[in-house]
Amino acid sequence: MVHDDYKEMIPARAVSALDAEDARVLNEHLENCPECRRELDDWETTAAALAFAAEPLEPSPQVRERILSEIGSDRSTSQVIPFKSTSRNIWTSFGSLGAIAAVVLFAVLIVALIVLWRQNRAAQVDLARANEFLQLVTTPGAKVTELKATDIDAGATAKLVYDRNGRAILIADRLPGVPQGKAYQLWFIVGNKPLPGKTFVPDDTGKGVMKDQVPATALDSAVFAITLEPDGGASAPTGSIYLRSGQ
Amino acid sequence: MLLCFFVAKILLQPERAQDVHDIELLEAIAAKDEAALGRLYDRYRVILFGLLMRILNNREEAEDVLQEVFLQVWRKATDFDQTRGRPFTWLVTLARSRGIDRLRTLAARERLAEAGARQSSEEISDAASDAFKSEQRDLVTDALAQLPDEQKRPIMLAYFDGLTQSEIATRLGTPLGTVKTRMRTGLMRLRELLAGKDESFGF
Repeated sequence: MVHDDYKEMIPARAVSALDAEDARVLNEHLENCPECRRELDDWETTAAALAFAAEPLEPSPQVRERILSEIGSDRSTSQVIPFKSTSRNIWTSFGSLGAIAAVVLFAVLIVALIVLWRQNRAAQVDLARANEFLQLVTTPGAKVTELKATDIDAGATAKLVYDRNGRAILIADRLPGVPQGKAYQLWFIVGNKPLPGKTFVPDDTGKGVMKDQVPATALDSAVFAITLEPDGGASAPTGSIYLRSGQ
Repeated sequence: MLLCFFVAKILLQPERAQDVHDIELLEAIAAKDEAALGRLYDRYRVILFGLLMRILNNREEAEDVLQEVFLQVWRKATDFDQTRGRPFTWLVTLARSRGIDRLRTLAARERLAEAGARQSSEEISDAASDAFKSEQRDLVTDALAQLPDEQKRPIMLAYFDGLTQSEIATRLGTPLGTVKTRMRTGLMRLRELLAGKDESFGF
């Protein structure tokens, strides 16, 4: 193929009408022939004018927006600028910190929820006890006996309320904490004979509330006492008396 | 103070846009000036979208390719060589090439169905030429009108339908050699008719 043969192919090349094989051989020639390349440039100008043969049409405005939006994101991701990279790392770090903060906050919320739930439950228990106590106190014939502290712990106080059926509630306050394996035990002393009552362990503030049943023999003339005993309770008092009535 | 700056910028913009030459716009785009790309788009969107619609005959596809073309301009503006031609030529070549690539991609499912309809799009409709009067458009349509149909049709089939010479020969039932000759003769005649009027396409 001679130079003029290639040259004849150029107009068709400008409108991309060459078949694959023709296009391939012409491209090879163009690489080595500046004259033909210039010729092609000229023909492409003519070919470009043919675009006017198409009816001019307005694209939708979204195309412009999409292009500008795309190049905006393209620019921010493709350019490697240390500052940008650093700032992105900062945001990534903020993101991680945010995630950690969220986890911590979540944990705090869960703990707070549990605490509130327990407090609420404790309050409900207290309320139930208070209601029970009130109910008992207002029962006709109910008695309230105060137990006073002995010399062992002068600050402790307790009241025992019981009705004629022996239904009793003991409320103690400011009792010293008990050692491991020990508990306070209530005693009903009729004459010189101590009858065992139930045991209880006060809470951290020294408060203790316990329901018990006063033996029928103790309903009219008994002394009530609280001693420190093994936590399973004893059949006869072994420890010192902390509180007692009728002093 | 800042407000004054923006007001002044907005007021000055139309005047600047007229003054800025395409080559300067492409240089600004190569330097990643987003506003420059916006101005180039505003200047050529209508002609390029019309071209892509003529090739693809589908608004969604044409808009998608138009977007691709300008994204390529954004990324490849440094490739533009002003010694080889005008920015307009570069843009049209790019758009046509992309449009025909897309047409070929869609060919398998659309070409057969639209072949009939496309037959009529090979002709330039009078309604279309009435719709948009411009000097350049008139020059091209007048020049094409002076070509014999046997020369014009191969050119239009290559230009807007992306057919190669062999495909045109098959489509028209004309020997390949005849297609090549008629196409070349038609294009040379077209160049003569447009010669000396190149400045009209100068943008």
